[in-house]
Amino acid sequence: MEIKLASVDSVIIYFSHDISKETSLRVKNAYKLLNENKNKAFIEIIPSYNSILVSYDIFTYDFESISIVLKKLLENVSCEENENNHVINIDVYYGLDVGLDLKRLCEVCNLSIEEIITLHSSKVYDVHAIGFLPGFAFMASVDDAIAISRLETPRKKIPKGSVAIANNQTAVYPSDSPGGWNIIGKTTFEFFDKKLESLSPISIESQIKFNPISKEEFLLQGGTI
Amino acid sequence: MSGFEVISSGIFTLLQDKGRFGLTHLGVTNSGVMDEYAALMAQKLLHNESNTNILEIAFSNVVLKATQDTTLCVTGAKCEFFINDQSRQSWQTYDINQGDTVKIGKITQGQRVYLAVKDGFDIPKEFGSNATTVKEKIGGISGQQIKSNDFLPYKKQNQKFSNLYHQRLQPIHVPKYDEEVLTLRVLLSYQEESFSALEKEKFFNSVYTVTSDFNRMACKLSGEEIKSDLDGIISEGISFGSIQIPKDGQPIVLLKERQTIGGYPKIGSVINIDCFKLAQRKIGTKICFEPIDIQTAQEKLKDFYLTFK
Repeated sequence: MEIKLASVDSVIIYFSHDISKETSLRVKNAYKLLNENKNKAFIEIIPSYNSILVSYDIFTYDFESISIVLKKLLENVSCEENENNHVINIDVYYGLDVGLDLKRLCEVCNLSIEEIITLHSSKVYDVHAIGFLPGFAFMASVDDAIAISRLETPRKKIPKGSVAIANNQTAVYPSDSPGGWNIIGKTTFEFFDKKLESLSPISIESQIKFNPISKEEFLLQGGTI
Repeated sequence: MSGFEVISSGIFTLLQDKGRFGLTHLGVTNSGVMDEYAALMAQKLLHNESNTNILEIAFSNVVLKATQDTTLCVTGAKCEFFINDQSRQSWQTYDINQGDTVKIGKITQGQRVYLAVKDGFDIPKEFGSNATTVKEKIGGISGQQIKSNDFLPYKKQNQKFSNLYHQRLQPIHVPKYDEEVLTLRVLLSYQEESFSALEKEKFFNSVYTVTSDFNRMACKLSGEEIKSDLDGIISEGISFGSIQIPKDGQPIVLLKERQTIGGYPKIGSVINIDCFKLAQRKIGTKICFEPIDIQTAQEKLKDFYLTFK
């Protein structure tokens, strides 16, 4: 673990220099510890793949003292998996009418649509970071057979609810947005919901599994093509 | 109802406050006023709480009609400011009577005018703040910029403010936004080690120019190219003021509506109080960078906020 200066009122904690399951678990456990500490002087805590940014009240801590506090708090952070984590199941309609890149994916990966659906929906994904857009969760790791890179030219508008792949990551667009990920399906699950007190049903601690549904079921859930 | 009828909203007038905190872990940006000096000074002159909401006006021709008495203060960019067609001064308080018309005309120096009223506008906060982030559709009035025919409610003042105080900032404390070169003080941080001594020297000894790629999210500069040894980095949390160096080598200073995480190498961070100054600069302004150490930077920031306590 390394604590570095980020700005006049923030530091960044690095847990390693690469992306791995172990690093991700360490970030999640550290994030949990920081939140449970309920220290009012921690203003923002932004977890990501291998780091956590902490902005703090400079009337409480200076750079030196915050570094000491964080080091003490996190020096024994484990990389154990939380067994109580429940998996959130998200229904997805994988179809050519919503999966704008599904056909191309079949060609590039030399797989049938059914094979792609099975590969994408049989894994449990970890959330590694949330950002880019409110509620945009970067999830990994997608099976190598369908891990294709971003579009060269991003689309001007990707519909809300689109399920997407970029390299070994997968995500759901929480709102209409420009974007360059490969779209393979669509869901009615809300990743960013202003009606919720927490704003989102997911967090960096969530695990996600996609569940294939039929077009009829998708439409019944209020989905639109 | 007491408040302002918005006769003309201007193109980009936003309700703001200090910002929305504690939701960046979900990708929700802080937002908030771009120039805290001007905004906090308006609140101080009105004897308001520092986090009271305020209008941030980026374009001319804002016309408001008061349906009730209040007191207001205009600060920030130099502008034409009228109460009932009488020219008035920024950086001081004025009592407004029912029926008065307030107009912000041409902005002549600086980029953002702030307009605050006594005790703020009576608009419910969204997720802890009134700060408007248009791209997230959060805050303000239904997540949008202020529109003509909107109504900005405030509470009626029972006693004339001017009977208690008349607040005017000493001219020496009124900032000027037109110096030829603005120097931004930088803390080397984040991936600074991935920039060689030569690259750092270039960075600190060059003159950059503010480009048209300048909004509430970020300010892109153009000038000497800076190279990092890193191609990209694993996406990580981004602080206010941090300086990204994308592949084209042109620095980008990240401001109030920045994305919460990003994957470009960062050479350092501009200190907050200098970001507030940058917020008032026009396209074409010359920018220089100067290193500062963390102890000095934190003392300066503390001094800044203590002024407004």
